[in-house]
Amino acid sequence: MNEKEQRQHFRNIIEQHKGILFKVARAYCPNEDDRQDLIQEMMIQIWQSIHRYNNQNSISTWLYRISLNVAISFYRKTTIRSNKHTTLNEQTEQIPTEEKTTGERQLNLLEQFISELKEFDKALMILYLEDKSHAEIAEILGMSVSNVGTKIGRIKDKLKTRFSQLKS
Amino acid sequence: MNELELKKLWQATNEKLEKTLALNSINQGEISQLKVVHFISSMKPTKLFALITGIIWVGFGTTFLSHKYLYAFSETNKYFLFSASIQVGLSAIALFVYLHQLITIYQIDITDTILKTQKKLARLKISTLWVTRILFLQLPVWTTFWWTDVMFREWNVVQWLITGSFTITFAFAAIWLFVNIRYENRDKKWFKLIFNGKEWTPLIKAMELLEQVEEYATDIKPETNAII
Repeated sequence: MNEKEQRQHFRNIIEQHKGILFKVARAYCPNEDDRQDLIQEMMIQIWQSIHRYNNQNSISTWLYRISLNVAISFYRKTTIRSNKHTTLNEQTEQIPTEEKTTGERQLNLLEQFISELKEFDKALMILYLEDKSHAEIAEILGMSVSNVGTKIGRIKDKLKTRFSQLKS
Repeated sequence: MNELELKKLWQATNEKLEKTLALNSINQGEISQLKVVHFISSMKPTKLFALITGIIWVGFGTTFLSHKYLYAFSETNKYFLFSASIQVGLSAIALFVYLHQLITIYQIDITDTILKTQKKLARLKISTLWVTRILFLQLPVWTTFWWTDVMFREWNVVQWLITGSFTITFAFAAIWLFVNIRYENRDKKWFKLIFNGKEWTPLIKAMELLEQVEEYATDIKPETNAII
């Protein structure tokens, strides 16, 4: 594949799968400016790794691996910046409650829950919400299928508790 | 709210987000020309600087000391010579650690599984502990390089007690810290006291992440071969 073809291939991948990048960035990066930087870093990594993609995994698995790896590392970096930016919780708190629909309120609760999760639990939660099979999740994260089931079960329990706490 | 509703809510919001968030700031066609320092290579300049400074220091030290050993051994103060040799030797070891870190940075595959890649990245960060341990190991030689033969001939007991206690204390502290500054001791009070400060935050964060990796890896059966 020459460079021109590679560029076209890259453009197609990004256009078709940009949702993956957005979803991951949204979960790991509550600040809008940081989120753009994060997406850009993900794209750079995709561009730099594109020649190594060998169809061994599906393109979405490959993209999830890159974007989550970048996001987890990026997330570590941004949280180090001495709480310079507002957190997702703070952002949701700033929105007046009366203007929110039930759906928005529930989404806020979900986002708040996700923002409180540790890095790997967060990755697991995103993939679970994206309706990925346990086998796919295992392939992306690098763990056994049975372990995925156990971990998801635990997070779901936490989610139930958190939802009932936040609602009350 | 049940699972299905939750998933639908998440997915519907993502669709909305995709439409509103255009890739305005990122020109995909130009991405290959972007001179942006990404997260892995952002670690390189510091390591490269440390490596270059280290090479200069060790290079200068080795040249200077070699000259003393080869051509001026008899007239050189042996306490200074041996103390400086230990210091330069330990700096050379630190240099190897930096070199190892640089090689590891280049070997990290971002397309690999999350746990594997993050484990490598966390371990890389934690390997910085080796440099700290080596730096502490240099402590006692800073108390001996100025010693002379005259001291042994003319100093009284009190002077020796003061000087000796300094050296022994530093040597003991250096060895103890070298042995005990380990990832496994991260929860100890003294460890937190030493590594308390902004400059150590990335290291502490890396340790927390490694804990998560270990927690995730605990339930994995060996035959799955999924991680590490």
